[in-house]
Amino acid sequence: MNAISPNPSRAYDLNFARYVYENIDGGERLRMCMQCGACSGSCPIGQQMDHGPRKLFMMIRAGMKEAVLTSNTIWNCVSCYNCVVRCPRKVPITYILHDLANLAVREGFDAAKKADNARFAKAFMWSARKYGRTDERLVTGIYYFSFGLLEGMKRGMGNQKIALNMIKTKRMHLGMPHAIKAKDELQNILAKAQEIQDRHGKGA
Amino acid sequence: MEKKIGAYLCKGCGIGEALDFKALEGVVTKEFKKPVKSHECLCGEAGLAVIKADMEAGEVTLPVIGACSPRVMTDRFMFPGMTPIRANLREQVIWSHPAGDEDTQMLGEDVLRMFMTQATKVNSPVPYTEGEFSTTILVVGGGFAGLTAAREAVKAGHDVLLVEKKATLGGHAASWSAIVPSKPPYHDPETNPLPKLIEEVKASSAIRLVTGATVTKTSGMPGKFQVELSDGSSHTVGAIVLATGFRPYDATKLSHLGYGASPDVVTNVEMEAKLSAGKVHTHAGAAPKSVAFIQCAGSRDPNHLPYCSSVCCSVSLKQAIQLTKADPDVMVYVIYEEMRTPGVTEEFYRAAQEAGVIFMKGKASKVEGRHGITVTVADELLQQDVPLGPLDMVVLATGMVPNSTDPDAPAQEYGAELLNADINPYPTEGDYKPAASAPPGGSLLNLQYRQGPHLPMLADGFSDSHYICFPYETRRTGIYACGPVRRPMDMGEAHEDAMGAVLKAIQVIRNAAEGMAVHPRAGDLSYPKINLNACTKCRRCTVECPFGAIDEDEKDYPVVNPTRCRRCGTCMGACPVRTISFDNYTVEMLSSMVKAVNIPDEFDEKPRILIIACENDAYPALDMAGIAGHQYSSFVRILPVRCLGSMSALLISDALSVGYDGVVLMGCKPGDDYQCHFVKGSAMAKERLSKISDTLKSMQLEVERVTMVDASIADSARLPKVIDELVAKIDAVGPNPFKGF
Repeated sequence: MNAISPNPSRAYDLNFARYVYENIDGGERLRMCMQCGACSGSCPIGQQMDHGPRKLFMMIRAGMKEAVLTSNTIWNCVSCYNCVVRCPRKVPITYILHDLANLAVREGFDAAKKADNARFAKAFMWSARKYGRTDERLVTGIYYFSFGLLEGMKRGMGNQKIALNMIKTKRMHLGMPHAIKAKDELQNILAKAQEIQDRHGKGA
Repeated sequence: MEKKIGAYLCKGCGIGEALDFKALEGVVTKEFKKPVKSHECLCGEAGLAVIKADMEAGEVTLPVIGACSPRVMTDRFMFPGMTPIRANLREQVIWSHPAGDEDTQMLGEDVLRMFMTQATKVNSPVPYTEGEFSTTILVVGGGFAGLTAAREAVKAGHDVLLVEKKATLGGHAASWSAIVPSKPPYHDPETNPLPKLIEEVKASSAIRLVTGATVTKTSGMPGKFQVELSDGSSHTVGAIVLATGFRPYDATKLSHLGYGASPDVVTNVEMEAKLSAGKVHTHAGAAPKSVAFIQCAGSRDPNHLPYCSSVCCSVSLKQAIQLTKADPDVMVYVIYEEMRTPGVTEEFYRAAQEAGVIFMKGKASKVEGRHGITVTVADELLQQDVPLGPLDMVVLATGMVPNSTDPDAPAQEYGAELLNADINPYPTEGDYKPAASAPPGGSLLNLQYRQGPHLPMLADGFSDSHYICFPYETRRTGIYACGPVRRPMDMGEAHEDAMGAVLKAIQVIRNAAEGMAVHPRAGDLSYPKINLNACTKCRRCTVECPFGAIDEDEKDYPVVNPTRCRRCGTCMGACPVRTISFDNYTVEMLSSMVKAVNIPDEFDEKPRILIIACENDAYPALDMAGIAGHQYSSFVRILPVRCLGSMSALLISDALSVGYDGVVLMGCKPGDDYQCHFVKGSAMAKERLSKISDTLKSMQLEVERVTMVDASIADSARLPKVIDELVAKIDAVGPNPFKGF
């Protein structure tokens, strides 16, 4: 196996496709992609994507590692699975996009750090790890303030009305965050998941 | 035996209700003074019994059957003795014109007049069966197609003479490491079948092998070809199977793809040699870690081979799979414009994808570098130039060039202009003289034919006449091409091709011995007979024959080689002095049929337009128009001809001089993409038509009166409209002033 190039700034990496085939979740089926475009055609948020899955997969074959891992396509997938259901070659597109997002984070791409969805995912995972639940106030707070103090306050104030209505209708509570009972068991599960992913990422 | 004509009219299928039979019978009895019988259903047992009884009693030897089209019920209306004449009263009269109408009745009577006249003019053909006929098949080329042809011919009971230029058998395929799969699941390259095939052929006692030899001279005709070989031996063979194969396109012309600049840019043939040798390595001796295949290298490119060789995609897939199997770490790219995997080879494409081969749709625009080669791919899907590299090796998937001439002295790389120069279907004025010298390049068979030593080719240089309609048939009867000399193909197709060509060879051997024609007039016993007393030695027949059947003797008189002839009659149509004729088909017969029609005078306002229809496509299309119930003008009179090529220009002036208002020629499409069953018959008719305007002017007639219409078998809905338009157009010109003369 040719290792992924250590230099992340390289625009074209001859071995990138092979790396994705062998290391990315679902990547093995990607070699069967026949570029029909059913995925991009059925994506409900395709317009919010810079490339869409079909083109992204072709970029993988062309070895355009940097362009792929800085694309917003990998972050904007909403996991509706429309494409997966329709793919004539049974490519698990959703898995591939999510794991490419993971790879982008691991490779330390700036775009991956700054992506909107990456920030939200980070806040979500923080809450999930800490409480075993999502706490709306903390998740949105961490997400908003990841853009900076001023921007965080602006976004928070902008959503004030929604927050008040949620409290009124008891969709958001005041007081201490709720936590699950067996937090340590959850930690074990997450540790195991991380272990599996790390192993996967190394191509073992 | 004296010819006794009797007419039989059928009232079935609605003919009885639509036409006045008393009048029809009157045409036969009063005008032709012949017996006539009508029956409710002539093709039924009772109807046939009527005809049979008269024939057995010796009262009738040639029945004229006024019923359905001659294209149907042929088996029912087949009696011992002469082939019946069929007057088409159903498809082309009552099914395409209104019943009980005055004009329909006139048409029906005229049809009967035309075919009664034909009956008076035909004679039973006397076939050519002189001399000995050989049943041996000569196979030229000992590659996969030739070896298969030889083996299959022996299986069918024929002796074979197999001539191979090289000292060893097997051709290109013998050196291949593996072949594209031919059996399910079509996933893995298969073992090369050549060694086993060579053993089988060598072991066969019915195959006479001559290796290291070529054909130096071929003369004669099907059933009696005289062949001389370079080893000095000479043989008589019945038919020839041409399996001279292909040569890879010359890669030195592909410098724009890096060939020559780097030793690691190789062709698919060179890669195959490396795979056969065992281990693939670069020029420097290392195992390649990254390889790119460039598809369509010099193919589908107007500057190189303009066509697709159809196998290069499969071959690259095979080599890519072989490379990844040998070393799973090797990165293999295939740069393609269209992946062409005919039939089940699509499965093989998937197998290559599964093996991890990376496919990039685009055009390789640049290949740079000596080591660590970079291929710039104009990626069509990404809409950008992708620099693919560094690559250890680049493989150019080059195409196939047919060995239509001697590969060691090819007439030209591709294209047929040069070889067709002496048989140009559109000769300009004065082009009827034979070429001063034979076209350059070594010929394969060195035919001792008037039309030159080469086999004519299609535009891309393949020795074929029409690969869809008449596969294997070259434009030289008795010589059948198979394998990549006919069109680019893989081994599976070449295997089928070899069998097809052998079947054709067997057909010609059997038919020639009985004096019968082969496709498309299979079974025809007539052949052209030339009255040399009237011959002016103009050479039109020897030049125009689409199959080179007519040679010239030392005094420049034409000599017909009957078994080379396909009986199209192009020579008959070409002859300016009407001195070429068949026993049952003559210019005089056609002319009499034309003149048999009653021409009303100009005050009747009933124009008459003669349609001369090719019986291969136009005539059946008109039949189908009738079957579909499409109506067209009752003013037309349809004269079927074997091929428009057999239409003499004199026929047109005959028609106009008796008062027809117009003449329409209906035949197959001429030109490079011709559909003519006799290759250039309709082209010749078009050529003659272009010269007819002078004749019309000398007769003080308008040129609009004569037109040519391209008709194909699928035109049944279009032709009635075309006919009506032409009738209106000719009617607008006004009546022919020759009426009543």
